[in-house]
Amino acid sequence: MNDMRLIERAVDMNDIKISARNVQVYYGDTHAIKDVDVDIADKTVTAFIGPSGCGKSTFLRTLNRMNDTIASCRVEGKILIDQEDIYDPRVDPVQLRAKVGMVFQKPNPFPKSIYDNVAYGPKIHGLARSKADLDEIVEKALRRGAIWDEVKDRLQSPGTGLSGGQQQRLCIARAVATEPEVLLMDEPCSALDPIATAQVEELIDELRQSYSVVIVTHSMQQAARVSQKTAFFHLGNMVEYDETGKIFTNPEDPRTESYISGRIG
Amino acid sequence: MTDASADRSADGHSRAKTSLLQLDVRTKKRNAAEARFKAYGVVAIAIGLFFLIALLTAIVSNGTRAFTQTFVTMDVTLDAQKLDPDGTGDPEVISKTTTFGYGGIIDAALEQTLAARGITTEIAVGDLDQMLSSGAAAEIRRAVLDDTSLVGQTVTFEVLASSRVDGYLKGRVTRESLARDRNLSPEHLDVVDALQEAGLVERRFNWAFITGSDASESRPEQAGIGVSMIGSFFMMLVVLVLSLPIGVATSIYLEEFAPQNRITDFIEVNISNLAAVPSIVFGILGLAIFIQVAHLPQSAPLVGGLVLTLMTLPTIIISTRASLKSVPPSIRDAALGVGASKMQSIFHHVLPLAMPGILTGTILGLAQALGETAPLLLIGMVGFIASNYPDGIAEGFLSPNSAMPAQIYEWAKRADPAYYERAWGGIIILLLFLMTMNIIAILLRRRFERRW
Amino acid sequence: MNEQHIASAYDRDLDAIQAMIIKMGGLVEAAIIDGTKSLETRDVELAEKVRAGDKVIDDLEERINEEAARTIALRAPVSKDLRIILSVLKLAASLERVGDYAKNIAKRTSVLAEMRPITGSDATLRRMGREVQMMLKDTLDAFIHRDAKLAEDVLMRDQDVDQMYNALFREFLTHMMEDPRNITACMHLHFIAKNVERMGDLVTNMAEQVVYLTTGSMPEENRPKGDRTSYISSSKPE
Repeated sequence: MNDMRLIERAVDMNDIKISARNVQVYYGDTHAIKDVDVDIADKTVTAFIGPSGCGKSTFLRTLNRMNDTIASCRVEGKILIDQEDIYDPRVDPVQLRAKVGMVFQKPNPFPKSIYDNVAYGPKIHGLARSKADLDEIVEKALRRGAIWDEVKDRLQSPGTGLSGGQQQRLCIARAVATEPEVLLMDEPCSALDPIATAQVEELIDELRQSYSVVIVTHSMQQAARVSQKTAFFHLGNMVEYDETGKIFTNPEDPRTESYISGRIG
Repeated sequence: MTDASADRSADGHSRAKTSLLQLDVRTKKRNAAEARFKAYGVVAIAIGLFFLIALLTAIVSNGTRAFTQTFVTMDVTLDAQKLDPDGTGDPEVISKTTTFGYGGIIDAALEQTLAARGITTEIAVGDLDQMLSSGAAAEIRRAVLDDTSLVGQTVTFEVLASSRVDGYLKGRVTRESLARDRNLSPEHLDVVDALQEAGLVERRFNWAFITGSDASESRPEQAGIGVSMIGSFFMMLVVLVLSLPIGVATSIYLEEFAPQNRITDFIEVNISNLAAVPSIVFGILGLAIFIQVAHLPQSAPLVGGLVLTLMTLPTIIISTRASLKSVPPSIRDAALGVGASKMQSIFHHVLPLAMPGILTGTILGLAQALGETAPLLLIGMVGFIASNYPDGIAEGFLSPNSAMPAQIYEWAKRADPAYYERAWGGIIILLLFLMTMNIIAILLRRRFERRW
Repeated sequence: MNEQHIASAYDRDLDAIQAMIIKMGGLVEAAIIDGTKSLETRDVELAEKVRAGDKVIDDLEERINEEAARTIALRAPVSKDLRIILSVLKLAASLERVGDYAKNIAKRTSVLAEMRPITGSDATLRRMGREVQMMLKDTLDAFIHRDAKLAEDVLMRDQDVDQMYNALFREFLTHMMEDPRNITACMHLHFIAKNVERMGDLVTNMAEQVVYLTTGSMPEENRPKGDRTSYISSSKPE
């Protein structure tokens, strides 16, 4: 038994990976995200919590410009990843999304084989020079996704034939195959049963050693279990952003207090 | 905080106690209504089945007769004196004898055949050949020219009987109906009976119906649907090659790339309406543009194909859009999330998943186009006798031809009941074609079906 | 701990908290040993060391409280995990009080060092101190190994401590009646003995907590209580 845990948990020494300044997001005339300023650290799991419709998913999607696919959506302000503004007109969203991977709420493997699922990203980004290279990338990604042992004998079977938890881990493996630096996860466990959820959470804990992970979750308990820093969103504003232990034992803002103790929706 | 309910019983309970084992009035009425509805459904299905069976029975019973034809077997002496008096063996010389010249040879052959079997008749020798098809002479001439060594020999030929004789064997023609007929007399029928007993006249399966070309009004026994099939085939080829890529590309553009504004809405509404436009309007369009402005050859399968492409495009566009819409957006999101561009996500992921729907829509559109007659009327593929096989691929597209439904219509128009019977036969062939295409559609869809 | 949690961080958190209890227990044990030794040898410096060391013990208790609260907030433990956390909180509180008593003994030792020694009581006090320290050690062992039997055994031994206290109580009375100049020293010594007896009771509470942790229910109430000093009067012979 050792008490080195406290040192393990200290994250203040990590660099800032993503920096958002004065971000506003509009859907048509609706002002969905208001004045958000946040610094997200590298090699850390940051959780966004808040009631339904508070804007946490919207803000997450601004980080890899997935909101570009929605015609009525407008983003203002600066979002810097490694000090580069990702909304600069010179930036190609496609290239951005190789650097910032995403895992979605419902596991959505391509209806192809497990191998092809993971190999697709590296192939279109030209990360592999030969078949052997590609094999290696696929194996590494599947190991990172904590699913290699379960599928190494059936790489050609369809990805959709796995169980829910396995599919989500496959999607995580697919996301890390392109060697991203940031992983965005939009409620990744909401479609999974408790055991699969625990396995994915354990995986997230391992992933944070290599990536900056941002996870949106509607389960406060999940944010409590998995993240080192938590941001609470309410009605489009980011109300409080602090170390997870502090948010859940002694939050500063009364709105945060009300939300985590179940007094507001 | 409960409402006072109307049926409070005496002891203050809010509902009168009822037994589950006894159905109350409302339940009985509801069950009766359901039973009635189910009965309506069964009756509707029965009526539908009845009509289906009636249709099939009519088609089959009327049409199968077209697949058999009466042939007469006889020994023909190819008189060298008539054909090649100098014994040169030169095809040029032999070909100088026209079909008219063969008439005598045929008469002689018939006479001999009757004599050999001991059949007597009052018909003059010259009139005997009315039993045979008027194309018999041409048949024999062609055989001789193909193989000039036959000259001087006695060869057994099977020639088509005339359509009246054929009708007689099929029960269409009776002695009473022949009373006013110029082509045949009842005495001929006696001869036919005798020959039939002798085994020289019989009905056989008629391949020429399927593979042969159309024939003139007077020779229904020779008419076949083969050339029209080729015409239809080339037309379908044009439709497939043009409408599939254009339709799918249009759909992809409208669904994925077009901005959501008034113009796009306008286009979409019009495409949906085009699917309901009467097909003859497309025929007029084809006449005006392809034939009068572009001066493409009239009655060519190429033009027919172009007109039918215009007609099929809305169907394919609509069914492709439905298929594209049915691909769950999570697949697109997943592709974009991995860093694929919009084109990549569409062509690598969305399109393969939409394939079953697209293929089904295409094949159904093709099947519909196969059966269209009205647009072909105006570009001239109808009032035309498809008498020759096209010589090559280019000819196949550009030389005047007919299409199957048009051919069937043409036959149905002609006076001779033998043609009428052939029209039914053509319908059977058309239906077989359509069934084949539908089966291909089902197989292709099964093969491409994926689970997501 | 039979099985690991799927979330390995949870196991590491629980391990960390329990490690802190063990550490705190070790410090308190050392305080008892040093405290009684300093009393025996009238070693003022050692007593001072014990007094100063109590701050570390108090800080540890505060840290344990914070960590336990954090674990409850973040992990929402249930069943065995919940009993572990609740037990740890109570153990920490008891340990802190034991530590305080040890500090008190050290404080009085400094005073006693200037007075003349009272014969006879030293040996008993030393035995008492050692007994309590052994009880604490066994309780901590029982906690580490989840050994309910060992913990129940500790419950029984409190009786010995109580009897030793009874004996000391009468002895001090006798000394005080003999010679009034002994009164001050005997008063201090009595308080020391009372502290040690209280320490024994607290360690017994801890042992009960370990039984609860291991088995899920508190031990039965029939552990013998031997403190009869409430009934001693100087006039009536016992």
